[in-house]
Parts: sequence; C-alpha cells; structure tokens
Amino acid sequence: MVTSADVIEEMKRIAERELELAGTIAADAQLVRDLGLDSLGLTVLAVGLENRFRVRLQEEDAEGIVTAGDLALLVVRRVREQGGA
Amino acid sequence: MSSSAAVRVLGVGTALPPHYADQETLIAAFRAHWSKQHFNIERLEELHRAVQVGGRYLALPVEEYERLERFSERNGVWIRVAQELGEQAIRVAADRAGIGLGDVDHLFFVTVTGIATPSVDALLMNRLRLRPDVKRTPIFGLGCVAGAAGLARAADYVRGFPGENAVLVSVELCSLTFQREDLSIANIIASGLFGDGAAALMVSSDDRRRAGPRVVATRSVFYPGTERMMGWDLVDTGFKVVLSSKVPDVVRAHVRHDVDAFLGEHGLDRSRIRHWVAHTGGPKVLRAFEETLELPPSALERSWRSLRETGNLSSASVLFVLDELLRSGEPGAGDYGLLAAMGPGFCSELVLLQW
Repeated sequence: MVTSADVIEEMKRIAERELELAGTIAADAQLVRDLGLDSLGLTVLAVGLENRFRVRLQEEDAEGIVTAGDLALLVVRRVREQGGA
Repeated sequence: MSSSAAVRVLGVGTALPPHYADQETLIAAFRAHWSKQHFNIERLEELHRAVQVGGRYLALPVEEYERLERFSERNGVWIRVAQELGEQAIRVAADRAGIGLGDVDHLFFVTVTGIATPSVDALLMNRLRLRPDVKRTPIFGLGCVAGAAGLARAADYVRGFPGENAVLVSVELCSLTFQREDLSIANIIASGLFGDGAAALMVSSDDRRRAGPRVVATRSVFYPGTERMMGWDLVDTGFKVVLSSKVPDVVRAHVRHDVDAFLGEHGLDRSRIRHWVAHTGGPKVLRAFEETLELPPSALERSWRSLRETGNLSSASVLFVLDELLRSGEPGAGDYGLLAAMGPGFCSELVLLQW
C-alpha cells in the first residue's frame, strides 16, 4: 500500500535528480511558493510521480493542490482508484 | 554614427526542407520512444500540442531519423542539408536584393545545430562561386539570438566598409540535434517546438542602393549569471538541450527596460514602432513579450503565424518574420521597426530599422 510518506520521498528524489532542488520536503511545503516550482517544474514532478506510481493525474486534479502533502494524498487516492504502483 | 554610411537590409530569402510533417504525425512517431520511460503518454502529447506548432519542415523524412544513431551520422546529414538550404536562401536573398553574387564582399554564417570545418560558409563559397577575396565569419553558439545578432554584426561590418555588401545566412536543422534517448521533459518540449529552415539577408552600405529598411542602430544586452537558461550540454551523442522554463521570466524582467532605454537613445518610444519583428521563441515567450511591452493584439501576428507554420527555427526564425514583413508591402516611408531576439548567454539583441 502506497502512503503519503512514500510519495513525498519520491518527490524529494525527483526534485533532487531532475529539478536540482536538494533537501527535505515537508508535507506542508507549498509547491509554488516554498519549493519555487514553475509550470515546467510542476510538470516534471507530475510526470515523475506518474511514472513511479503508474497513475494518471488529470488537469482537473490540479485544483486545490497547494502543498506537497496535497499532491501526495492525490497520488495515494489515484493509486487506490487506478490500481497503480 | 549619424555621419557614417547608411546601412540597409536590401533583401531576405528563406528556404525550408521539403519533408513536412504535421504535429500529430510527429507525436505518433515519438509515442513509442516516450512509452519506454513514461506512463502517461497523453500528458506528453499535450505538451507537444501546447507549443502551438502546427507542423515542421524536416531535413529528412520522419522515418529516416530512426536510423541515425550516432552524432557523426546526424552531423553528416546536417553538413549536406545545410549547404543545400543555405545556397537556396542566399540565392533568393540576392535576387530580391538585386545584388549579383559577385558583388558580395562578406559572408556571415550562423548556426547552433551542427559543426563543420571547413565551415559551411566555405562550402557555400564553392557552391555559389563567390569571389575568392570574400571575407568569411562563421558564428557558432549564439543560438536563437544569432539571426538578430548576425544582422547586427553584418550591419556593423558594412558600416565600417562603406560601399560593401554583406550576406548573412542562418541555417538551423534542429531536428538533427534531437536526442532520442533523452526522455527529459525539457527535451520532449524542445522536440515539439523546434523545426528546420534557413534564411539569408543582404545588407549594404552602398549609397546607390536605396531599397529596403535602414539599420538605424543595434543593441546587445547580456544578462549576467544566466548561463543555464538555455544552451547545449555536449554529450557523446551530440547536443543535449538545456531549456529553462524561466525564459519568459527573463523577458518580463528585462525586455521592457532594454527596449525603452534603446529607443530612448534615439528619441523614440514604443508608440513610434509600427513593425515588431520578434523571434518566435514559443507561446510563453511571445506572450511575455506582448504583455511586457504592452503591444497591440496583432503586433506579433507574423511571429505567431511563423511559429504555427514552421515551429521555432532558432536563429532563422526572426529572419523568416522579417521576410514576411518585407514582402507584405506594409511598411511605409519613415516607419520604424524593431527586430528583437534572445538566446543563450542569456542575452538579447535589438535592431532598430527605419523604412
């Protein structure tokens, strides 16, 4: 079973490897304000999570996603619905 | 500067390779590669559609790219096609300028998509049978800014040698730089945005030649500490793209100030510019340009159309847009135009024109 902590760990790995952003990612860190992600950064993050957890995140999913924790919960939900990971 | 020779753009010529592929055909060709690493292929397809390119003209038919494994193979094709397109573009530019090839005094060649020694300008000397005393300046590495910067440097040259004619030729075969195994998002976006093409223009300080806009002044602006904004990482398989999503931010941070300062030095402001010739960087760059300069809705229409029809042709793009403007017959006597591009460095080049 995939947990939010697993997803945040993967986000940290993607941020380090593909976005040149080192360091821990707190669940309440805001993706844009705190992590400094722009549209390309958010896309890289979404693609990385989709690849790792074998889920599809849709455009309409973006609404209400502000923090790393919000995104992690979304991925966990999609894994459950889509049978990914 | 006012006492020096008047420099004019006498004619522009363009050339596109014959192998057109629309964006959906290209997406279909890429899909199998993307699926090797990526799960949500639809997202990548959307990235290719979001760049607002309808299709590209390619150096080779789509299916032939599959067999190009090594950098040497791709660059070999580049050398062959660069000569063909460069020659076509120069012949059209010379014809439109009313200049015989025997009257060319200096040949500037710009590219960022392949390498050759002797450089392609030397190969073009033979193909075009230019005079043996023609001076040659190959320029590699300026990327997208090289169309504007090449025009500016050619203008500098003929200003220094009154009565002479210079040709600038830009050849960019972006499709031959594509790194198939690089499945990064930056490379996927680049493979959706960039196309192939060549453009040439004639500039002259020969007082007898009065057609075409005058190059009033040019301005280079370098942005310190922005080296990773755009460029190539040289890898064993060739050129791996570096493309930051912060490029539109740089436009928003600098272009308005740079343009206003440049125009101000010539007693002008933006309201006096009737014709905007902007490099077709991509939808976000064009939008940033429009917004930061508060341009009227149709001011960059030719750039948008060029982006849709051919994709971003790197240094050649701004010359394609200039060609469209010149052939439109729209500019009237006395009109001002501003040609602008940005590229690796990161930097801008501005060229003030007057008809």
